[in-house]
Amino acid sequence: MDFLIKTLGAIATIIVAFIVGMLYMGINRKITARVQNRVGPPVWQNYIDALKLVSKKTSVHHGVMQHLAPAFLMISSMGTLLFIPILRGQSWFPNLSYHGDLIFILYFMVLGSLGMALGAGQTGNPNAAIGITRGLSQMVGFEIPWVMALVAMMIQYHTTSISDLMAIQQQHGWLMFQNPLAFLAAILAMLGMFRYSPFDIVGAPAELASGPISEFGGKYLGLMMSSGSIFAFTKLTLYVDLFMGGASNIVVLLIETFTLYLIPMLYGLVSPRYRTEQAIRYFWGWPTVLGLAALVYSVVI
Amino acid sequence: MINDKNSQKIVDIIQNFARKHSLFVLAYGTGCGAIEIPPTMTSRYDAERFGIRGAATPRQADVLLITGYLTTKTVKRVIRVYEQMQDPKYVIGFGSCTINGGMYWDSYNTIKVLDRYLPVDIYINGCMPRPEAVIEGFIKLQKKIMEGRAEGAKHYKENLEWYRANQKKVLGPTTPHIQEYNW
Amino acid sequence: MEEKKAQILEKLQKVFPEISETKNDFPYNRVDLRIEKNKIPAILFYLKDEMGYKHLVHITCVDWLEEGKFEVIFIVWSPVDKIKVFVKTFLDRNNPVMDNVDMIWRQANTYERELREMFGIQFEGLVAPKEFILEDWDDMPPMRRDFDTEAYARKRFFARPGREDARDVRQTIAERTGEEIPDFAKKYSR
Repeated sequence: MDFLIKTLGAIATIIVAFIVGMLYMGINRKITARVQNRVGPPVWQNYIDALKLVSKKTSVHHGVMQHLAPAFLMISSMGTLLFIPILRGQSWFPNLSYHGDLIFILYFMVLGSLGMALGAGQTGNPNAAIGITRGLSQMVGFEIPWVMALVAMMIQYHTTSISDLMAIQQQHGWLMFQNPLAFLAAILAMLGMFRYSPFDIVGAPAELASGPISEFGGKYLGLMMSSGSIFAFTKLTLYVDLFMGGASNIVVLLIETFTLYLIPMLYGLVSPRYRTEQAIRYFWGWPTVLGLAALVYSVVI
Repeated sequence: MINDKNSQKIVDIIQNFARKHSLFVLAYGTGCGAIEIPPTMTSRYDAERFGIRGAATPRQADVLLITGYLTTKTVKRVIRVYEQMQDPKYVIGFGSCTINGGMYWDSYNTIKVLDRYLPVDIYINGCMPRPEAVIEGFIKLQKKIMEGRAEGAKHYKENLEWYRANQKKVLGPTTPHIQEYNW
Repeated sequence: MEEKKAQILEKLQKVFPEISETKNDFPYNRVDLRIEKNKIPAILFYLKDEMGYKHLVHITCVDWLEEGKFEVIFIVWSPVDKIKVFVKTFLDRNNPVMDNVDMIWRQANTYERELREMFGIQFEGLVAPKEFILEDWDDMPPMRRDFDTEAYARKRFFARPGREDARDVRQTIAERTGEEIPDFAKKYSR
């Protein structure tokens, strides 16, 4: 009985993440359109796109890894979601959050990208190969400030468990005020994690013919879109858990995640596209300096 | 239950609704018509409010937009692009060059009637059609999809030999001969 | 400008006495000269290396069908003098063969490929892929004036039913409705 409830809870979590993530992306498209003085698509446009992509026929075969790549993405985003506590202090949606910690999540988050790299590599499309090189180099860029920010918090509170960090924030206040340098470094790393402009060279349609996904169409593209929206919600929830003390109910969670989502979205709207080496120089500049300062701060305090 | 006629009808309606409202366009920019696409997509005419957006590769696209005359060299590439697209797929012929040759009616190197080589679902006439006309054409296509009449791809599959013969007449020995592109 | 143009011609004529015909009375910075075809590489080398005409603007061809000749024209430009020199030469239309000049300017290769395909001019020693724009072309080179493009198009491509005569649509409409085409529109009719 307990197992059944847990399974249903996990499925419900994934469905909620899918719906919320798609909605955020729809709002993103709408706001982008309004900034560009357009009417823009309706906010539910992404659901229609996903439905259409799933109902498309798919008859492309390049090899086994090509078929597995969308599954890798999906596993990575769903798995990360299940190991993150969604709501604080309640028995709802606990999923697997007591079994994983920050270090595990750090590794699990990149699984999707690596699986995608293998799959896109097998398609043999030169654009995909270029896109992968750029994507992985950019990942090396933003992973460094991101890991530094996490390690700073682990050192500061001597724990790697997200639930423990959330409990500590109940006593001491939000971590984003306890260690603001780490928060800033993590936020700057988040800009790269979302791959919105200016860090969207990976899938630039005009330059790379949409990069790694250029050989994936139909159902696979639908799967990638869904996993992207779930992953977006996952990352936002992780940030809320780590820096804003977690949310006590779903409304607060939505408000906090959307506020965080506005940062990469609005920053992207006003920025042109960086080349790969510019992006890496960006991440290894001030974000890394902030991350180092956060480390020093956490050791000293 | 699944193969029941009525439930199939409902599935069709849902699928056609989704297909109608989400058209990913691969604009094959031949000729002068390519310049009409940016204003159609950007803030002045904003085709995205109908769910029309650009796709970068044929694998992701639903609509192949052929914007202007096709030389014999490009028609070969267009046929390959069309056959790389995944079902359901639609073709829009754009401008009088694709309808009857237009001002290139006596050219030694451009084809005149596009629907002999590819199944065209909608023609937009004009030389060049303005963005309003393009959007009108897209809305016609959406109506056709909703009514289930936009079956160019099916027609192409059923009459492949006729199309291949026509293509062979223009392209000679280098006509594409594989139907599925898996490389 | 006028003296400069005259000076250039004078200097060239001193080195190349074969120059048969010159012209420099253009209102803009253009000088024309004509020379026999086997002197073309020499004069282009001289213009590039000695006189600073570094830039190859264009290589083109004119089909003089009535005289039975092709006229190949090389346009070169000097960034110092700011003058264009048109080097012209006549080829026999039945045997259009001349020397390859792509060792002087590498981009000449592309122009020569185009002329080979469109006019059938053979450049001796030209190393380039066979096809440039036309793929699987099996007819006469299409830019020659005796090539009937309309007949070729009718033979090779399908015409829209009802539009085989390629007639002006306004004419058809005018006949159907009994109106007359206004004078200003007539000059745009075929």
